[in-house]
Amino acid sequence: MLETFSLLGHGFAVAFSLQNLGAALFGGILGLIVGAMPGIGSLAGCALLLPLTFHFDPTTAIIMLGAIYYANMFGGAFSAILINIPGDAPAIMTALDGFSMTKKGQPGKALFISNYSSFIGGFIGMVILVFLGPALASFGLNFGPSEMTVLMLVAMTSISWLVGENPIAGIIATCLGMMISTLGIDIVSGQIRYNFGSIWLLGGINFVPLVIGFIGMTQLFDLVIQDRKKEKISYVDVKIKFRDTLLTKDEYKRATRPSITAGLIGTFIGFLPGAGATAASFLCYAVEKKISDGKTLVPLGQGAIEGLAASESANNAAAAGAFGPLLALGIPGSGTTAVLLGGLMMWGLNPGPMLFTTNPDFAWGLIASLFISNILSLAISLGCIPWLQKIVRVPIGVMIPSILVICFIGSYSTSNSMFGVVIMIIGGFLGYIFNKCSLPVSPLLLAFVLSSTLETNLRRAFLTSNGDLTVFLARPITDVFLVIFLIMILVPMGRAIYSKIKKN
Amino acid sequence: MKKNIILTVLVFLLAATAVFAQGGKEADDGQFHINGNVDFYVSSSSGGGSDIITRTITDIAARHEFVDAPFIVYNQPDGNGQISRRTVSTARNADSTLLCFSSGDLTAMIQNGGLTLDDFRPLVILAADKHLLFVNANGGKYHSFQEVLDAVANGAKINVGGTMSDERVVYNMLVEELDASGSFTYITYGSGSETIAALLGNHIDIAVTKPATANQYVLSGDIVPILALSTTRFSTPFDTAPTLSELGYDDVEYPMWRGILGAKNMSDEAVAFWADVFKQVSETEDWQKNYLERNLLVSQYMGPEEASAVMYEAQAAAQAQN
Repeated sequence: MLETFSLLGHGFAVAFSLQNLGAALFGGILGLIVGAMPGIGSLAGCALLLPLTFHFDPTTAIIMLGAIYYANMFGGAFSAILINIPGDAPAIMTALDGFSMTKKGQPGKALFISNYSSFIGGFIGMVILVFLGPALASFGLNFGPSEMTVLMLVAMTSISWLVGENPIAGIIATCLGMMISTLGIDIVSGQIRYNFGSIWLLGGINFVPLVIGFIGMTQLFDLVIQDRKKEKISYVDVKIKFRDTLLTKDEYKRATRPSITAGLIGTFIGFLPGAGATAASFLCYAVEKKISDGKTLVPLGQGAIEGLAASESANNAAAAGAFGPLLALGIPGSGTTAVLLGGLMMWGLNPGPMLFTTNPDFAWGLIASLFISNILSLAISLGCIPWLQKIVRVPIGVMIPSILVICFIGSYSTSNSMFGVVIMIIGGFLGYIFNKCSLPVSPLLLAFVLSSTLETNLRRAFLTSNGDLTVFLARPITDVFLVIFLIMILVPMGRAIYSKIKKN
Repeated sequence: MKKNIILTVLVFLLAATAVFAQGGKEADDGQFHINGNVDFYVSSSSGGGSDIITRTITDIAARHEFVDAPFIVYNQPDGNGQISRRTVSTARNADSTLLCFSSGDLTAMIQNGGLTLDDFRPLVILAADKHLLFVNANGGKYHSFQEVLDAVANGAKINVGGTMSDERVVYNMLVEELDASGSFTYITYGSGSETIAALLGNHIDIAVTKPATANQYVLSGDIVPILALSTTRFSTPFDTAPTLSELGYDDVEYPMWRGILGAKNMSDEAVAFWADVFKQVSETEDWQKNYLERNLLVSQYMGPEEASAVMYEAQAAAQAQN
């Protein structure tokens, strides 16, 4: 324990050098900007800036990229809360409650809660990273194909709350999402499937342009119609004062408990190789729904502080947790940490189980700088709230072209090609049709995100066990998750049956 | 309202112009020289092996002033890399459009269909790498390849993990040589580090991967090399792994080379120019020390003719397995 404190202290000494502090500040500001821009996100942000760090000192370089990755999780919530366009996959759950709060005239409050919960989640993640990092990273290795399959099933239960009033419509949307995720090269067999003869579809559909199309473009169509009918001048027509953004004692209380729960679960998910912040935010939202069912002022998904806090805290905790397997084992836990792994090799370091021993300055300097980035990101984000909340008062006539530009840039920058823009436009039209037919969009997007991980791991599990179903039962971790899965599915059914019997 | 529509259309056009706009450059007939930028395409995202080698090459070439034109690196992973390959193949500025290309990319290109080496001008091969089989040192079922062979003889089922590209090809060659396709199952992973993670968690019995990916885990004693997929043994710390011929079979190898392709219509003068530039790059200390040694790669400069022969041979092997 004392040794850990001394190593962390040494890490702070490294991180507090003027050069590294500057790198953390620069990364923090940049991360907030790329996070707030839908489509760019931490993966593209780090990938774009990685070549610039080629001649940097490795510690300074990783501190800058780490700050970008981390601050991005703060920034990702901005567009989700203010204009209902999730900047990144983990922010989908944030948009559900965040944007509902904005529509109720509380954009500043939503931003404040998001920052507050992000900070708590991140802090929990970092403390766990310091004290249990290597142990949890090794434990994460126990998550093989069968464990990941069951974990994804648990995450998928969150879809059931998003199907809306018409379950059939929800199931159609979910199936469509799963179908879209199967386009492109099959990762398990290497065979091409459903590309309809187009080489563009070989790599499948990228999530970011799809979400920008389905949510952003659809939003745009709605605004155009509203503008035409002169229904609204801006998103929020009432004047918002700064003091309205501050939380009351009760609101702090309602945000703190979900933030801590999601922080703990999110960190653990972040440690698992290949799970990442998206699965963490979905899972924590599902757990929060279970914990606070009936205890919130408004139901989750309709502007509940608890839902927003859980999603944002989970994001940041998972982002911090994902550094665990990267630093302790040299194994990336998410797409962005995979880019950082490439960076380590580019800077001449050897990522692997001996990184803590061979490059302690680097490893502990990075961990210490994450603490600094957390505080810097919180300070910058809170400072931005008065200006950010003015966005929702921008006249719709100006908002429409602005969102259009953001949608174009975001979808183009995903893979530097027009393919993303085409996907976004198709997604926009489909989203509009979905809206008109009262089909919910969120189940489609969630099913799309989770299905590929579920499918890959399910097939790997069957391959390794020669098709034996007991591969999901004979392992302790899968058993635990199967029980959680069954509780998630059966408890609401049981409750419904019980209340029906009681009524009769 | 009208104003809003006009504003929307204008911004739309502006955004579309920005994303469609592309610079162009031409090469003079008769004499080769570069006009404008050199477009260097990478068919995968930033941070991957192809990206790192491309950044290293362009950095050395620019710093030593081997080329008097700026390099622009494009990471374009769309269409499983096929889009960047097609872009380079049909590039109008053929003399200054290059593609980072490895034997792994070749496997993917053949799997995807529609393009072959005939659509490019092979320029050089700069480095080579081979594969080994590894087992988990802590709790793994097998400790040597002889034990694996004995288990196969006793009808055991063995799970082998590796990536979808060159590792899969060399695995198929191995299984064919052992004549034991029914005993092995190949589990595909997205990257070398994902494969290692699966091995460390004992989710697979054997991992096929390259020395650079496994080096740190071998040094820490977490995994052990059990077979060199090469005609000779590797150097330390992989020297304990025997070759297949030492165990009574024919050696199997599918060297993973890293090279560069030019556009299909690249002129002969440009081919000679680029071959010379990359030869100079491969002779620098930066390249030898900071790239090859660090990534445990073998220096293997091959000019256009030699590289072409090796690439076509690998293409035939990949086509035979596809």
